[in-house]
Amino acid sequence: MRRQKKPCPITEAGIRYVDYKDDRLLARFITDYGKILPSRLSGVDARHQRQLSKAVKKARFLALLPYVKGQTG
Amino acid sequence: MAKLKIRRNPTRRYEAVYIVDSAIEDAAILEKLDKLQSLLNLAAPAEIEHWGRRQLAYKIGRHETGYYAIARFETAPAVLPEFERALKLDDGIIRYLISLAEHELGAPKLTDEELASRRRAGDDDDDDED
Repeated sequence: MRRQKKPCPITEAGIRYVDYKDDRLLARFITDYGKILPSRLSGVDARHQRQLSKAVKKARFLALLPYVKGQTG
Repeated sequence: MAKLKIRRNPTRRYEAVYIVDSAIEDAAILEKLDKLQSLLNLAAPAEIEHWGRRQLAYKIGRHETGYYAIARFETAPAVLPEFERALKLDDGIIRYLISLAEHELGAPKLTDEELASRRRAGDDDDDDED
């Protein structure tokens, strides 16, 4: 009973290279706490997942995304 | 196959994001960016995109907002260390990131047919279980 592979949402969107400045896109691939969503859950293909991971880290540095979400104080 | 690439052109394309202290007035910010950019002695003027003031995702020191500006330019790598030093010394720059912007050198963007065929290959279910 193998689950059918999901199509990669980033490829579907026609994106060749994930841009670290596109925080709206990146926000779809992080958890409620701000962690990077595993590709097994998001269906992102390996190449885009690698780009995504770099992009999220750059976006965090630039305060476009939080390192930790829902933190108090 | 993997041919050693000899770089004829010693310059590379960069993209820099600057986060400027949002307490500074707009005119002064523009002037500051101009001044910094002029340190690079660019052959072609940098293409600057202004995002303007924006909420930071987390506090950086005492700052909660910042003025974002993105510059794209082409320069020799050797001039960057000196430029970065100037950026670090500038108190008005809260943070900056300079990265290579050469992604377009890769394979061309997928065409619509390619996308469609990919979609056909793994379509059937559209469940989003998570």
